[in-house]
Amino acid sequence: MARMKFICDTERCIECNGCVTACKNDNEVPWGVNRRRVVTVNDGIIGQEKSVSVACMHCSDAPCMAVCPVDCFYRTDEGVVLHDKDICIGCGYCSFACPFGAPQFLSKGAFGSRSKMDKCTFCSGGPEENGSVAEFEKYGRNRLAEGKLPLCAEMCSTKALIGGDSDIITDIFNNRVATREKNGHYPGSKAFGWTTAYGGLDTPAPTPTPAAKIPGAK
Amino acid sequence: MKVKTLGLCFTAALLAACSEPPEIAAKAAKRPDVAPYMGANNGFVTKNWTPGNQASWTESIDQRNQGQNEYSRLK
Repeated sequence: MARMKFICDTERCIECNGCVTACKNDNEVPWGVNRRRVVTVNDGIIGQEKSVSVACMHCSDAPCMAVCPVDCFYRTDEGVVLHDKDICIGCGYCSFACPFGAPQFLSKGAFGSRSKMDKCTFCSGGPEENGSVAEFEKYGRNRLAEGKLPLCAEMCSTKALIGGDSDIITDIFNNRVATREKNGHYPGSKAFGWTTAYGGLDTPAPTPTPAAKIPGAK
Repeated sequence: MKVKTLGLCFTAALLAACSEPPEIAAKAAKRPDVAPYMGANNGFVTKNWTPGNQASWTESIDQRNQGQNEYSRLK
């Protein structure tokens, strides 16, 4: 079974923000919400400037799921962490718990000054019917159900951001690192956020939880 | 006695406001999500797999994954 994950190769990211634009456009993400963004550290310092594209990492042991008071999160069989906007109360606990700042809120919405939470869905929608208008309006595109991968990763011009089955993308990344080492360069042997989101080598695989297992699920 | 009864009735009425009608509770329950290999109800589904067939979806996604690997694309 595929375990969908993201990796961003900081040695390749050129801060073009193409992933951010693609995500906003394809999912029609509202003004004020960025499901994905590019963070740059050591800005302007030659040789030390690094950029990384960050969104929900779909953590193996997701802290947002742990703190949600209304239990609106679920993890699919593909390892994608999703949430049900019909249950979310917009309390914001998940945004404090998330180490990547993934949960986003509109500044004005149905719940006073904050809307229901919005975040990257790994382009796999939500609990509405796959590919339906209702799903698109609430969660954006469901590219996984269309047989595609997240657009941000698929359109990345330098292939800094890669997303998909964890076994395959780690293999791609390891191959790059090995090639760099072979050529006498050693940078970027660790992918940003990987151990934070997915743990080390001895971390057990996460158990898919509830929505997919609820009676009536196909 | 009368005051006590009135007080109890008042408290019961107050607490009743804290309850959740069953129809609202049911609405807030988690709904099942359909697996991506079941396909999407739109015209954007890629053609090289069969919706409903998990093995064909996985194979198609794995192939698509390799599209991100320029080492395999260059070969």
